[in-house]
Amino acid sequence: MKASIPPRVWIGAWIEARTGAWAGAWAAARAAVLNLVRTAILDLATILLGAAIIAGLVHVVAILIIPLYATNDAFARLSRLGPTNATILLPQAIAKARLFPYGDPAVAAAFCRYDLREGPLRVKAPVARYEFSSISFHNRRGDVFYALTDRAAMQNALEALVVTDQQLRAISARESEDESARELRIVSSTDEGFVLMRSFSQAPSLVTEAEERASALKCQPESPPQ
Amino acid sequence: MDLPFKMLVAGAIGLAAGLWSANSVLRVSRAADATRIGAWSTAAKAGTPEADPYTKAAVERSGEIPLAPGEGLQLIARVDETGAALNPRCVYFVGRRVPAARYWTLGIVDRRGFPIDNVAQRLVFRSSEILRDSDGGFTITVSPSARSGNWLPIGKKEPFYLALRLYDTPFSATASAIDKDALPRVVRDGCR
Repeated sequence: MKASIPPRVWIGAWIEARTGAWAGAWAAARAAVLNLVRTAILDLATILLGAAIIAGLVHVVAILIIPLYATNDAFARLSRLGPTNATILLPQAIAKARLFPYGDPAVAAAFCRYDLREGPLRVKAPVARYEFSSISFHNRRGDVFYALTDRAAMQNALEALVVTDQQLRAISARESEDESARELRIVSSTDEGFVLMRSFSQAPSLVTEAEERASALKCQPESPPQ
Repeated sequence: MDLPFKMLVAGAIGLAAGLWSANSVLRVSRAADATRIGAWSTAAKAGTPEADPYTKAAVERSGEIPLAPGEGLQLIARVDETGAALNPRCVYFVGRRVPAARYWTLGIVDRRGFPIDNVAQRLVFRSSEILRDSDGGFTITVSPSARSGNWLPIGKKEPFYLALRLYDTPFSATASAIDKDALPRVVRDGCR
């Protein structure tokens, strides 16, 4: 069967070639069904091709916009646990604690959320010798922008000031030139974010002690620089 | 069939397929740019602005708080050293060495990254509590039934991953520099 011959001509020729109503009817029905199947396959192919293109676009767009909405990321989950600036101990990463995946049961963690619109944040934490402790700074987009371990401790404590770009400029302008900054200032690219303190427990019986060390994290908002 | 109807059907199928594929990709595999070293893989860039879009989206959806490059490095084994998926009915030997780090832990997690309950209450082995051989090496036996020595129990008959965390390690920013032989081998011993 050639595609250029219209089906009606084709059916007509078929009927002419045969005598008898039954043969003609059979041929007409067969041609009609064939025609229907052919259009259906074409339609289906068009739809599937379109669907594949749209699926690819939707997939890429979905992956790219998920981090922008961030409705259920770590910051959003931490927000439900307590107010800004408060130090809150995370439950040990056991099977029942299903809030933060890939947590280490051997490491205690406490956090505080900050909001720099009210002023810079002073972060302080005493660290014990020979125990691994670290403080990491996370912005609202979920990026870690700084981290300190107990190796950077001065007088057995870790201390830092989290500021916005603007606040840092205000602080620097106020200082005289010969007076060098004696504190660690970390610029957060977003106003909101959180600080997480981790402390390693060397044995299961020492988890409570590690939790106490992590809970010693202090987050104190300071008055904004003039 | 007319064109608007075809477009509508294609749009509906495309939307559903696109969302489904995005969701299943985020559920199954983390990190398009993960570094594979033997049985282990690591997404060292997770949690940094340089992370690839899949890692970013996966971290957002899961709520994970990744280790910062200065703190340490997490490596995940989803397969044994022959490349076969870890099977909860099998026994695995993990050892005998670990890259330089101040502390490390080795634990079992489920496919979503949470520890799996077990009767022995043993979720993780710390470098500070492990039994070592006379040469300083170690072997952790990952098994559903009790073993002598360092036994890390497989609590449930469900798929699991091994999670190795290195704290205060020089490799945290250069995960690809880790030699395959420096990481613990994951060897299957037998299955029930």
